[in-house]
Amino acid sequence: MEREPEMEVTLREFAEADTEALFSWASDPRVVRFQRREAYSRVDEARRYILDHVLPHPWYRAICVGSVVVGSISIKPGPAEEGGSRRRSPSSTRASLGYRLAHGYWGRGIATRAVRMAAEAAFAEWPWLARLEAVADGENPASQRVLEKAGFVREGVLRRYLVLKGRPRDMVMFSSVDTDRRNKPVEAHGL
Amino acid sequence: MEEQGAPAAGTPEPEPERAEKVVTLRPFDLADADDVITWASDPVVTASMPWASGPCPTRESLLAFLRDGDSAPPHPWVRAVCLGSVSGGGGAVVGAVAVTPTDDWCRAEIGVVLARARWSVGLAAAAMRRAVAEVFVDGGAPRGGTLEGVERVEAVVEARGGGGDASRRALEEAGFRREAVLRSYRAVEGQLRDMAIYSFISTDPLLLH
Repeated sequence: MEREPEMEVTLREFAEADTEALFSWASDPRVVRFQRREAYSRVDEARRYILDHVLPHPWYRAICVGSVVVGSISIKPGPAEEGGSRRRSPSSTRASLGYRLAHGYWGRGIATRAVRMAAEAAFAEWPWLARLEAVADGENPASQRVLEKAGFVREGVLRRYLVLKGRPRDMVMFSSVDTDRRNKPVEAHGL
Repeated sequence: MEEQGAPAAGTPEPEPERAEKVVTLRPFDLADADDVITWASDPVVTASMPWASGPCPTRESLLAFLRDGDSAPPHPWVRAVCLGSVSGGGGAVVGAVAVTPTDDWCRAEIGVVLARARWSVGLAAAAMRRAVAEVFVDGGAPRGGTLEGVERVEAVVEARGGGGDASRRALEEAGFRREAVLRSYRAVEGQLRDMAIYSFISTDPLLLH
């Protein structure tokens, strides 16, 4: 089945020129509802975010439908529970994934495709990666479905795990592991 | 946890007296150095101890830890595990329990270390029961304390296999809930392992008896 060109989902690196696009979803309370950050109210906040956080990030991509930037997806190497450092510890074998999509593009499988593509890219680019994990808020079934449809395995509910908007939240933990993708025994990972 | 010991031999007592062991927690003190040093240099124990920056703590680093205790990052909450008798005061320091906040202020990790000769599931469970009871006194971590805002205490242990069996049983006996198996979570001795994550949250019932 041929997919129409304007519906093709691709990932590419961000540029400062994507400021307006990022602001469009980062200022939308529906999109940021299950994120740590409050909604942006000024375009300059989005521009600073791209310059200070996105461009130096180890892996941060714009989700495009055709040529339109409709969301973002990022993967942070290192344990999910340790924030701050952008440099992973030498012994780390994990990375954590997160994504955001403009509200007008929900419900079309775009996020699912983006998560699949990002996971493939991470395992291809990082030979040290054994486990890619993602958490979805316990009250966000749509995001849980995205991760399941993208081939992640639901592992369980971690109670009062993260603070979002100042409140501890129950989070559902999902993972995609090297052995899921390659059908290789763990011992062959070569640590 | 209370264990029953053998009754004292010798002159019969008007009432039978049972020697009971009681587990209590308290902050470390410089005077604990002699008790602690007898087991603290055991490499199996030392590996996860707050004062361990190398395989063998020096007396100086140990004393510095005992003196600075809770104020020294990254261990803002540490307690000595004491095993004594009901009537006879605190008793010997047989280990330590630490609750360490993560980057998320609602979440902290618990660790227990006990002198190898004393290690038992019951003792480890008792230390953790008392630790969460102290952290969640009055239903939440006290305001102004080093664990302010903590609503979740967690532990990550090997999901299966003999090596983690005692730890898993101790967590369960202490009232922690096993939430998930995190696949390929951590490398142990060069092999990727599945790890089980356990938690005790501020609204869980405290199991003190």
